[in-house]
Amino acid sequence: MSKYLDLSILEINGLLKEKKIKPLDLVLEAFDRIERNSDLNAFITLDREQAIATAKELEGKEVDNLLFGIPIAVKDNIVTKDLRTTCASHILDNFIPIYDATVVKKIKEKNMIIIGKTNMDEFAMGSTSQTSYFGAPHNPWDHNKVAGGSSGGSAACISARLVPLALGSDTGGSIRQPSSYCGIVGMKPTYGRVSRYGLVAFGSSLDQIGPMTRNVYENALLLNILCGRDDYDLTSSHRDVEDFTRLIGEDIKGMKIAVPNFFVSDIVSAEVLNKLNEVLDLLKKNGATVDYIDIDYIDNAVTLYQIIAMGEASSNLARFDGVRYGYSVENPVGIDELYSRTRGEGFGEEVKRRIMVGSYLLSGENAKTYYTKALQIREAIRKSFLKAFEKYDLIIGPNATTTAYNLGEGLDDPLKTFLDDILVIPVNMAGLPGMNVPMGFGKGHLPIGLQIIGNRFDEAKMYKLAAFVEKELNLELDPREVR
Amino acid sequence: MADYKKTIGIEIHTELKTKTKIFSNSINGYGKTANSNVNVIDLGYPGTLPTLNMEVIRLALKAALLLNCEINKEMHFDRKNYFYPDNPKNYQITQFETPIGVNGYVEIEVNGEKKKIRIHDIHIEEDTCKSIHYKNHSFLDFNRAGVPLVEIVTEADMHSAEEAMAYVEKLRELFLYADISDCKIEEGSMRCDVNISVSKTAELGTRAEIKNIGSISNVGRAIEKEAARQINLLESGREVEFATYRYDEKNDQTIIMRVKEAGNDYRYFPEPDIPYVVIDDELIEEVRSTIPMLASVRREKYIEAGISLLNANKIIQNRTLSNYLNKFLDSGIDLVIASNILLGDISAYLNRTDLELDDTKLTDAKFIDVVNKLSSGDLNSKVFKEILDDVMEKEQSLDEIISSKGIKIISDPTALKKIIEEVLAENTTSVNDYKNGNTRAIKYLMGQIMKQTKGSASPELVNKLLEEELSK
Repeated sequence: MSKYLDLSILEINGLLKEKKIKPLDLVLEAFDRIERNSDLNAFITLDREQAIATAKELEGKEVDNLLFGIPIAVKDNIVTKDLRTTCASHILDNFIPIYDATVVKKIKEKNMIIIGKTNMDEFAMGSTSQTSYFGAPHNPWDHNKVAGGSSGGSAACISARLVPLALGSDTGGSIRQPSSYCGIVGMKPTYGRVSRYGLVAFGSSLDQIGPMTRNVYENALLLNILCGRDDYDLTSSHRDVEDFTRLIGEDIKGMKIAVPNFFVSDIVSAEVLNKLNEVLDLLKKNGATVDYIDIDYIDNAVTLYQIIAMGEASSNLARFDGVRYGYSVENPVGIDELYSRTRGEGFGEEVKRRIMVGSYLLSGENAKTYYTKALQIREAIRKSFLKAFEKYDLIIGPNATTTAYNLGEGLDDPLKTFLDDILVIPVNMAGLPGMNVPMGFGKGHLPIGLQIIGNRFDEAKMYKLAAFVEKELNLELDPREVR
Repeated sequence: MADYKKTIGIEIHTELKTKTKIFSNSINGYGKTANSNVNVIDLGYPGTLPTLNMEVIRLALKAALLLNCEINKEMHFDRKNYFYPDNPKNYQITQFETPIGVNGYVEIEVNGEKKKIRIHDIHIEEDTCKSIHYKNHSFLDFNRAGVPLVEIVTEADMHSAEEAMAYVEKLRELFLYADISDCKIEEGSMRCDVNISVSKTAELGTRAEIKNIGSISNVGRAIEKEAARQINLLESGREVEFATYRYDEKNDQTIIMRVKEAGNDYRYFPEPDIPYVVIDDELIEEVRSTIPMLASVRREKYIEAGISLLNANKIIQNRTLSNYLNKFLDSGIDLVIASNILLGDISAYLNRTDLELDDTKLTDAKFIDVVNKLSSGDLNSKVFKEILDDVMEKEQSLDEIISSKGIKIISDPTALKKIIEEVLAENTTSVNDYKNGNTRAIKYLMGQIMKQTKGSASPELVNKLLEEELSK
C-alpha cells in the first residue's frame, strides 16, 4: 500500500497537480489505514462508497486549492447530509440529516473528501470520549489510555495518521485537551469565527468548531476555509476571511508572553510543569519576554462552566423527544410516556445527569442564583483576559494537568471529567481562541501539550508562536515511529 | 348580584403579517397544504439555529408605538422551556426580560365614556405548530411553527364585558389599520385569552383564565357566563378554583380544561443564539413614519364632512376604500356623495368583477368629475349606473363616455319645467288625487316625466321641481 498520507499537504497537492496520484489513491489509502487501525475505534460511521464516488468525480476537475482531494474526518456532532450523524448517542443512532452544516458545505466546496464521522463523548459531554454509545476511542500512543474528549475520535485519527485533517468542536476544551493527549495540533477559534450552523448544540454560548491536524501550518490552512460570516448563525462574526498562515515562520523576538499563575500552580503535574518551563526558557532565549499574571476568577471557571453549559444543554437537548427524528420508543401510552421512555432509553448516564443538573440550575429562583450570577462572573473573567491582552501578545500554559490516563479511570467520578478541563475551560468562558501544540512527552512517552491563548480574532499570531515551538522542538509526533 | 365587581385582564396573541417566518425564511402563509411551508429550522432539526427576520422587529415596534409603549432599546430574546408536541424545539423563543414595549395604554370608549386600558407589555415570540387530532392519532402541521407573533398583555383594568369587547375591537382596528396583522380571529391570526375574577371587596378574587375565545362577541358572552358561574359559587359558599377554561359557544358556557398548578416553571434564560437587538431612535422614527392615519382619526374626519356614522364605519372597515377616500379629503368635492358611490355602485362593481380599485381605469380626475357632476345634477345616479362599467374600464374621460353613449342630461330647470307642465296638463286626475291627499300619485307623475325625458333628467331635480309645481 502507498504512503501518500504520510506526506505533507503541500507535497500531496504537488503530486495531485502533476497528476502523479489521484484523489482516489488517497481515499483508498485512508480506508486501508482505518481498517488496519480499527481497534482505535476512532470512527462511528465510515462513508466509503460516497468517498470513492467523490474521489472519482474529482478526477475530471482542476486541482484548484491546496486542500483539493484531501481526506477529512468530521466529528459526529456536525451534521452531514445523507450521512448518519449520531452525536455518539443511542437517541440519534438512526439519524440521517437532510442538510449539511455550513462547515461541511465549505469543505465540500473546496473538494475535500469526507471519509467518515469520528467518535466522541455522547453529545460532546465528557473529557475522555468514554461516554460514547459506541465505546471509547483509544489513544494511538498507548491503547490502554484515553484519547481525551470530547473530540477523542478526531484526535486519535489524526495522531495515528489515518487522515491528515479533521474537524472537532470545543465547548470546554474538547478540541485542545484530546489534541494534547494525542500529540496533535488543535485550534478552538474565537467564538463567532466559525459558523455553528449544523453543529448539534451543547452549550450554545460556548460551542465552536475548529481544525485538528498533524502540524501547525496545515491547521491554519484548514481554518482558512472554515471561517467567515454565515447568515445562518447570528453569532458568527462579520470579520473578513484572512490568511492564518501569513505570520508562520516569523521571528518571535519582542513577543510579550504571559503565563497565568493558576496555570503553573500545584494542580499541574510536575512533568507537565517541567516541559512548560523548558518552553518558556526557549522563548526567552529567542527574544520573547515572559511574565506571570493573575486572571480574575480563573479558578472559578469550571464551576461557571458547569452552570452555563449544563443550563444551556438542558434546553438544547430538549428537542430529542421521539416526535420528529431519532430514536422513538414503540407503542408509548400517551405523550408523557413517549418523552420519558424515549429520553430515558435514548440518552446515556452522563447526558441525563447534565440535563437534570442543568434543569435544576434554571428552575425558579435558581436561574437568578446560579445562571445569571455565572454570566456576571464570566463577564469578569472575559474582561480580565482582555485587560491582559492590552499588555501581552499571547497567554500560554499547559492544556492538561497530566498526560492521558487509563481507559476506565474516573468513570465513577462525574467531577473528574470537569477537573480534567480546568485549564482549557477559561478560554471558552472568555470566547477567546485557544490551541494546542505538542511540547514534549511525559512518562510512558505520552504527549504533553502547550496551550496558546490569543486575543479575540488573533489566531494568526497564535499560529506564529505555535509554528515556532513546533519547529524548534522538532518532536517526532508519529506514534508509529515510536511504538 | 350587582355588588360583585368584575376585574378583567386580557392577553392577545396576534400573528404579524410578514412574508417569511420569524426565525427562518419559510413562507408565512395561512391555509396552505399541511407541512408545505416548512424547513429544518421550523422543525427544530439538530444543529439548526434561528435567523432573525427584521420585518418582525419593525412590525412589532410599530405595534408597540401604537400602544403608546416605552421601547426597550436594547432587547434580547429568551427561551421558554416546556415539553409539548406542538413545540418543535421543546422551547419557545420569546421575550421575557426585555419585551419590545412596556407601560403603554390603549384608549377605549364605552357608552360615550373614554377610558385608558394600561398595557403591561408587548413582546415578540414564535408560534407553535398546529395539532390536529383524529381518532386516536395526533397530526402536526408545522406551517404555523415559527410564524411571528406579538403578545399584548393588559393590566387588569377592565370591569365589564363591554369594556373588554371594546378593548379587543380597538386593538383589532389599530393593528388592521397599521397593516400589522390580518387580525382574523376565526383563522387564529388573533387569539384572545381573558383573565377574570369577581369580588365584593377591594381585594381581588381568584381568577380564571378563558383561553382562545373565537370572536369578539364571544369575549363578552364568555365573561358574562364565567362571572355568573363564579358569583354562583361564592354565593353558595364555595370557592373559585385557579384554573383554565374554554368557552363553549354551542352551550354558552365556560368549560374547565385544566387546574393550574402554582408557578409553572418555564426555566427562562436568555437565548444564546440571537445577539441583542438594538433599536435606535432612527429606527423608531422611521417606523413611526409608516403608521397610517388611524381609524379613530378617519372616523372623526368623515363625520366632520357630513358622512353618517354608519357609512363612516362601513368605509373604515374597508381600508382600501378608506385610503382611497382619504385622497380627496382636501379636494373640496362632496364627500357624502363620494362615500355613497364608493360604498354603493363602485363596491358592487368591484365585488362583481373581483377587482381592486387599483386594477380599474378610475383615475382620480375621473372620480372627482363623477362626484362633481352628481353634485351639480349634470349626472344622475341612474345614468351613472348605466355608464359605470365604462367609467371603470375605459380610458375615456367622463364627458367622452357620456357623449359616446348618446346620453343627454337635462339639467336645465326651464326645459324640465316645460315637460313637467305638459305632463301635469295631461294627467289632471292624478294631480287632483295628489292634492286630495293621495301622496302616492306623485310616483306615477314622476314615472311619466322620466318617461318623457327618457331618463336623462336627474330624478332628484325632477322631484324637487314637481313638488314645487304641485304646491302651486
